[in-house]
Order: sequence, then C-alpha cells, then structure tokens
Amino acid sequence: MKTLLENSLPFTSWLIVGIGWLGLSSPALAALGGDVTSVAADQAHMKASIEVKQSEGYEVHALQAPGGTVVSEYVSPSGRVFAVAWHGPFFPELHQILGSYFQQYSAALQAEKKPHGHRPLNLEQPGLVVQTGGHMRAYFGRAYIPEMLPPGLKVEEIK
Amino acid sequence: MRKKFLVLILLGGVGFAVGCGGGSSTPSGVPGGSGSGGSGGASANVLAIAVDGGPTATQPGGFIVPNAAFASATVCAPGSTSNCVTIDHLLVDTGSSGLRVFESEVSSLNLPTVNASNGSAAYDCVSFADGSFLWGPVQNATVTLAGETASNTPIQVISSSTANIPTSCSNNNLTEFQNTQSSLEANGILGVGLEPSDCGLACDPSEEPVEVSPPAPAYYTCSSLPCTPQFVTVANQVTNPVVKFSTDNNGTIFELPAVSGSAATVTGSLIFGIGTETNNQYPSSNTLFTLVCDNFTTNFEGNSYAPTVNTANLCTGGGSFIDSGSNGLFFPNVPNFPICPGGLSDFYCPASLTNLSATNVDPNGTGATKVTSFSVDNAQNLYTNANTDGDAALATLGGLNPPGFGFDWGLPFYYGVNVYTAIDGQTVSTPSGLPSPPWWAY
Repeated sequence: MKTLLENSLPFTSWLIVGIGWLGLSSPALAALGGDVTSVAADQAHMKASIEVKQSEGYEVHALQAPGGTVVSEYVSPSGRVFAVAWHGPFFPELHQILGSYFQQYSAALQAEKKPHGHRPLNLEQPGLVVQTGGHMRAYFGRAYIPEMLPPGLKVEEIK
Repeated sequence: MRKKFLVLILLGGVGFAVGCGGGSSTPSGVPGGSGSGGSGGASANVLAIAVDGGPTATQPGGFIVPNAAFASATVCAPGSTSNCVTIDHLLVDTGSSGLRVFESEVSSLNLPTVNASNGSAAYDCVSFADGSFLWGPVQNATVTLAGETASNTPIQVISSSTANIPTSCSNNNLTEFQNTQSSLEANGILGVGLEPSDCGLACDPSEEPVEVSPPAPAYYTCSSLPCTPQFVTVANQVTNPVVKFSTDNNGTIFELPAVSGSAATVTGSLIFGIGTETNNQYPSSNTLFTLVCDNFTTNFEGNSYAPTVNTANLCTGGGSFIDSGSNGLFFPNVPNFPICPGGLSDFYCPASLTNLSATNVDPNGTGATKVTSFSVDNAQNLYTNANTDGDAALATLGGLNPPGFGFDWGLPFYYGVNVYTAIDGQTVSTPSGLPSPPWWAY
C-alpha cells in the first residue's frame, strides 16, 4: 500500500563525496520518506561528508557531520528513503532527518502521557517506528517505515 | 495519496505534577550520608543519595519518579561562602557530566558568564536519550557536594524562557525542553559520569583546522541572533564537578542496597575518590572493565553486543553502558517480551516475572567477565503499584534498548552492586597496576 507521495523522478546517479555548505535553508522535502535528492539536502544542512554503500535491495548513504555524528539513510531501489539511523556524540536534528514524519513523531510524544523517568525511547506507530537511546556523547537511534523494509533486512541492522 | 496515520491518544494516568521552582534555601553544607558500607557519621567524601521518588513525591498531588537517585548540592558564587543556595533533589546521573540547575534556583547568585572561544557568552544544548533537551547559559560557580568543593566550575543554568533557542537544539520547539521541575522531574541534574566535560575535544577550538564548523547541538553564542554554534575550550565547558575537587577527584563509588522487587525508598551513598581515603579503597573482589568508546561488551541469549570502531578509529556505536540516569534495565528484546501499550511503549510487559542473565565482557580482551542475573516484571503493573504503594525503587522494571545496541544498565543495576567509575583523564594509583581510566568496576 502506498503511504507516501508518489515519486515520479527518475533514479539518478548520486555518488557525492565531499564537504561543502551550499547555503540552503530548510528544504521542501527531507530524508525519511523523501526521495534520494533529499539526502543531498540533509548533507548540505549537516555540512556532512557522504559515503554510499550498496546492499541487496537497498543502498545506505552515510552522512558524517562535523563533530562525528553519522546519519545513515537507507534508500530503496525506487529512490525512496525508508529508514534513517544515527550514532555519535550529538543528537541529530530529527525535524530534518525525519522529514514529513517529524510531525507524527512529535504529535505521538505529546499525545501519550509518558511514565516518569528518563530512558531510551521506543515509539511504535502505524507506519513509523522511532527508537532513540544512549547518553551524553554517545547517542544512537533509528526511524523507519515498517512496511517499506526490504525482505531480509533486520531492524537491528539499521544503524 | 497520502495515508492518514492513526495517532493513538491514550491517557497514561500516572499522576500530575505540582509546583515549580527550585530547592530550599538551607544553610550551606550537606550532611554526609551513611552508606550501605556502614561507615556511619558524616564523611567529607560521602554524599547521601536517596531513591525517594523525587522532589514532589511527598507533596499532595505530586508524582513519583521510580528508579531515580537524588542528592543535594550547594552552589555558591565563585569565591563566596555566603552567597549560596542549597538545591535538593538533583538527579544523580552517571550517564552525563556536569551540574545543570534551573535559572530560578541560582539567579540570586549573579554567577559570572563563561565565554565561548569567540569571547561571547556560551550557551549549552544537551540531549537526553529520548530526544528531550536542555538549553541555557554556561556560568561559573563553586559547587559543594558533601564536604568536597569544586571551585570555579562551569555549570549549565537552564533557561526559564524558550526565547532564541536555535532550531538545531529544539527541533523547532517540537521536542521537549525540560526546564521545569515537572518536566525534568528533578530540581536539576548532577552529572558525575566517566567524562570530565560534557563535550570534550569535539567542541574545543583546537579542532577547528579539522572540523569545518563547530558541532551542533552543543555550544552556541547568542550575541547576534540566531544563536550560532561555537567552539568552547574544554576548560570552559560544563564540567563534572568531581574532577574539580582538590582531592578525591579521580572517580566515584555509587552504593545502593539490594532491592527485592519493589521498595518505598532506598538510601545510599555516592563516595568521591577511588583509593584515596580509608572509605574508598578498591576491593580485589571487583571485576574491572576497560572500555571502547566508553562502552563494554554484553553477551545475552546468544548475541554479543560489542562497541565498534571503524578503520579511522572513530566510534561507530554498539555495546553497553551503566547509567544511573536511566530508570530501568533496557536491553534488546531477544526474549520477545510483549511491549507495553500506549505511553508505556518504552517498557516490557511480560505476563509474569521473568528471570534472565547477561554477561558483561571487557571489550579490549583483558578476559574480564561477569554474569549479571536480573528479573523483569510487567511494567504496567509496576507503575500502577508504585503509584498506589508509593514505591520509588522498582528493581524489575525493564524495557527496550534499540535492537542492535547492547544494554543500558540503568539504576536497578546498582541495587546491591557498588559501581566504581574511574574518570577519563584522571589517575587511580591505589592499588598499583590498575589501567588508566576511563573504566567501570564492580
């Protein structure tokens, strides 16, 4: 079932390696649920270097920001970002990398009364799972669209 | 067509908070606690800690924060012994570094600002594991914990206003800014973890030739708006008060008694220094874990969760850590426990108490290994009972750490286990032959 905006852009080649700031302000479409051009927008916003890895049925675009946080964006063969994951010393900007899913994440946090105490987050919603954890200087997490996971990719591999 | 997502709205019903504002103005000097070691009386290096449900637990309409240890600190203007406030119910957090208090608690002290490397007042942004954050200026203070004093120590003063918080810190004000007693569930954070500062070299201007720009969210200056990321020298970063003590400054020993099931309140001690006084000697019965990226390895139900580094020796995640600021035992759901419903989705809801064990292993091949047996009960029942019975200590509260990562050994790990934390950059010389910090031992 299609849950996202249709992507009518052709799948273009994207091997971009480098550091640079293009002076973009907030892009129209970013990261989770977005198409592969949104990865470039995230890279510009994060001032990150990028490395791309091929796997069976998907690609991983790893963006490394200054200070060391790595955000990995998982792209389907049709050019759609179906998962993002991060680890590193600084919490990534979720409103950037969750893209259009940030509203759902934020609304879910505010709608459900959380029990008292600090701890890792496990948010399981229809169409969106967000898990965050760690501590100062060492954060990690992932967000993914469950129905878009390719067969054979286990959740614990998204990192 | 865009699918409409069903957002479940559930009422957690775990009570509501009352009151705001900070600690009491009691005379400076906090009585030393008698820890479970039975030393008794007041010792300069012994800070009383209490798992007592938090600052509102005894107030009508207040709430209980389970599995959180609290202590008091006295904060003075630098060089003053009279211009001071004592703040109770600071969350004792071994997963972070630095003292963080509300603006309302210290505004009367007129603490001096601490500058970023560009000469403007520094502001700090820090995150919690669940994505919530703290924001506010860095100021200089003298912090006293039990009988130990940290002079000229940068602390974070948590802003009462949400004005001018940069987007990279607040996610457009859509993640939770915990700048009140009810949202933070404490009167501040006392970060006494493995590291001497909250950011370290990554935020230091010596990194400038390597990094194109300062990392975010971390430190900022706001002399012109919007606030922009800045480098701050390690000396000016929010600092673990323990390293600023004149003695007993190489680590801590966190002692809480064993808890079977649930208990109303438990009290214990945070002892400063390892091998520096008669009350903090290192026992030969300890197992010591050296670390990779401040983590160690845990083997659990056929899986091994080890910290990893890449070929450039950069941390790439994974492994386990011990963190008194986490209010349960969080681990991957290999046992396939049901996840609790609604707002309790961070937790496990097994049908009944389940016994488990995991083995912590030194990640650098020293051969050190220790088995931890623990139990997990239904978190929904535990929280419900805690509210009716007033239990602040829930030894069997467990939940999810994202799969692929190891254990977040939160406060229940400490019940009946004395945890020795040796701080990065410090020296533990007694007994001889111990490795350089950072390390954990228990």
